[in-house]
Formats: sequence, structure tokens, C-alpha cells
Amino acid sequence: MLDEIGAGSADSTARLGWTGLVRFLHLAPRAFLPMRAMEQLVLVAGQGIEGDRYMIGREEGYYSHKPEEGRQVTLFELETLIALKRDAGIELGPEEHRRNVTVEGVPLNHLVGRRFWLGETLLEATRLSIPCRHIEEITGKAIFDPLINRSGLNCRILQGGIVRVGDTVRNAA
Amino acid sequence: MSVRPITTIKTVVAGIEGAGAGIKVFTLADPDRWALPPFKPGAHIDLHLPNGLVRTYSLCNEPADNSRYVIAVKREADGRGGSRALHDEVGIGDVIGVSLPRGGLEPGADIARHVFVAGGIGVTPFLSMARHLLQIGNADFVLHLIVREEVPLAAHLAPLMEAGRVVVHRTSCAGRPDLASLVGEVGVQTMVACCGPEGMTEEFEGVTAAWPAANVHIERFVAPPPVIDPDAKPFVLSLARTGTEIPVRAGQTMLAALQEGGIDVSTSCCGGICGACKVGWIEGKPVHRDRVLSPYERERFLMICVAGSDADRLVLDL
Repeated sequence: MLDEIGAGSADSTARLGWTGLVRFLHLAPRAFLPMRAMEQLVLVAGQGIEGDRYMIGREEGYYSHKPEEGRQVTLFELETLIALKRDAGIELGPEEHRRNVTVEGVPLNHLVGRRFWLGETLLEATRLSIPCRHIEEITGKAIFDPLINRSGLNCRILQGGIVRVGDTVRNAA
Repeated sequence: MSVRPITTIKTVVAGIEGAGAGIKVFTLADPDRWALPPFKPGAHIDLHLPNGLVRTYSLCNEPADNSRYVIAVKREADGRGGSRALHDEVGIGDVIGVSLPRGGLEPGADIARHVFVAGGIGVTPFLSMARHLLQIGNADFVLHLIVREEVPLAAHLAPLMEAGRVVVHRTSCAGRPDLASLVGEVGVQTMVACCGPEGMTEEFEGVTAAWPAANVHIERFVAPPPVIDPDAKPFVLSLARTGTEIPVRAGQTMLAALQEGGIDVSTSCCGGICGACKVGWIEGKPVHRDRVLSPYERERFLMICVAGSDADRLVLDL
């Protein structure tokens, strides 16, 4: 039925349209370390983010023992941080969710399997991120439950480049 | 690529300094001097020593300075081996894995006065607390330091001594001070804390028995047994394919018990939603607690990160 009405097709996503912004960029070189805010990140196609713990070949992240080719860069919605405060009374900063890119105006949950531009880089969304107890251990905040189904997006990098705070995010369909 | 999960923060020994009275001060830092996870005043960390021992030490530096973790360790020749390993085997540049900082005290808004009572090397958790209070301009705190003769960590205590915040009690000349008089009258705006040898913390517990529990903090050299949920019971995991038996302590997860037993199991969210650690069960009474398996699946599978057991023995298809 969903196929028949063309729901979620590249065509419909492009037609309905959305444009977003890169609001924050973060990385950490090793598991457990605080994420550091950056003005720009260097994305390397097929590899990851220069200096980040999950860069393929570096493997110093908490989940590096479970290598995943589709986890080269991770994104998170600014709107989720706003919702956490509004609905659960939890103040979570963009440095605390431990994804690399905080975007605004980008419907991340709709993008699985799709390609989109993050500044000059081209990404392909591979799967939704899943919250983990590890993040509660690090932040000391009870965010596991409120983040179910809105914990961000894992992507592979098809075309690398530099991503800067303020860059546009747009559909590549 | 690492095969085992990374379970500790990687630090390198950036400094070792003698501090008198058989004490060495170790400075641990990130290999690239990246910031370390933040901590509260008086927090502690576990050190995973190169010889396999895991030992807990108080952080002595100020929470505002999380570019390093500073610990002070007294060499205990007859101790359990952690301090000997640190004193005798660890050098500058050595890599030591540490846990996330735990515990500590956030100075409460309604606490006006702090009284710290330390016995010897038990001064370590109060160094960061007292320095923190000094830094934030809290005027009303005192550190009673009870020593036989020599003051430990004198250089580290110097700023507090200069600020008139430390009262040294030398038992070699004056005997042991009366803890009740050091602590004073019960005050709801007063926080009292003690760290020292067992005899001292027991006495302190006695003299503060009438105090509100929230206003009393006791740090022990040897950790007391963990508080266990009275409903939690230990059980045994029996691994059908290998014949291995793995004990699960009351309150422990199956996942932790299996990992302790050296069994390599796949995990991810550790909260019962992702499905990564799904394992078949053959016999027993599992308590599921996950949010991913259907009732039909639960008849054959469980999630080892959250499931428990209602029977003494649970047989897994591992």
C-alpha cells in the first residue's frame, strides 16, 4: 500500500522538501572523553571524521569492537534537545548526546536509506542510532528512555570535505 | 582493531612526585591532553593497574581542573598490593586505564558550614573538596587532620594551611582528639565528613548518629559491601554448549557475569531495546524486562543485558 501511494520515495521526499542547518559540531578522540565543540570537521569519504574515535582504522570508540561501515558520522536533531527539556525536564547540551553533528530543521528519522548534502559533503543515512546505557553512565542523566526512536542517525560519507557550523543541510534526491 | 570493548578511560602517567610519609602523587592525563570526564569534589576513580589489580583512589585536584586526574597513594607494605604496584612498578609514560569518576559531594545551597575530619592519608578526598570551597569563596569550612606526627601531602595542603583552614592534631604529642568536640552540635546547615582508618570512621559514625543522614558523609579506605536489592537473588548460568557454569551475583546482570567469566557476547544498548545480545534459553524461569522480544520470542530467547532469573539455575544456548 505504501508503495502504491509512493510514500517515502526519493521523488516524494524531494517534492515535499526540507532544508536545515548545521548548528553544532563535536568530536572526541577516545571513548568516554568529553566531546569538544569544533567550528569545522573534516569528513573523509568512506572513513569517518579526522580525529574522531570512530574513524575507520582508529577504532578508539566505546563501540569500536563492533565495527560498522555505516557509522562514519552521526547526526542528532536540535529539536530533540528542545523536546527533552520541554517533555522530560532534562537539560541536555549538544556536547552531551555524543553524536558529531547537531542539525536543525532536518527530519533525521525520515532519511534512512537516503542521500543528503551536509555542507559540501554527501552522506548516505544507514540506520537510526539507538540510545545506550553508556550515555547515561557518562552524563549521569536518565536519558535512555526519552531518546528511544529519536537518538539520531548513522551515516556513511560518500563525498568528503569540510563541514562548518552554519552550513546548509539539504536533500540530494 | 581492538576486539575487546573499551571499558576504561585511557590515561598516561604524566607525573610522579614524592610527597613525604611514604606517599607518591601520581598525575594521570589523556595521551593528547584532551579534557577528561568531569568529576565532583571528593570523587574517586578505579585504576586498572598493569598487573591486573583494580584499586580505587580519591581525586585530589580541583574539579575545575579536569585536564588531569591527581591521586595520592601511600605505600602500604602489608596492603593488598595496589599501592606497592603503583610505587614500585609504575613509571612516567605508562598507560593506565581508569573508570569514570564516581561519588563526591556537590556543595549544597543550604549547607553553610563544612567540617572535614581526616586521618592521615584519609585527607585525600578532602583536598579537592576544600580547594573547591576555597575557590568558590565559601568562607566557612575547617579540615581537622589527625596524624601521628608527619603531615601528609604538606605541599598540597599549603594553600589551605595559609588560609587558616587546617587544624592539625598530632596524636604523638596530644593523643587522639575527641571527635565529638571536633564535629560540634548538630546543625542542619552543617555538613560533616570523615575519611580515615576503620576505627576512626566507626567512631565518627557513632558521634554523628543523631545527625540527619544527608548531612553526614563517610569515606572508607576499604569499600563497604555494596547495597543489594533485597529482592535480587544470585543464580547460576549453565552454558549448554560448553558445559560452563557462570555464577551471577545478586543484582548483577547476566551480561556482566558472562563478561567476567570471559565469555564473549555481543552487546550494544545494554538497556533491552536494540536486540544485539539476544540469546536462546533452554531451561529455567527467565525474568525478561526487555522491550524488544515478542511474547512468542520470549518462550525461546532472552536479552542478557536486562533479563534475570526466577530460579536458581538458568540454562542458556551458549
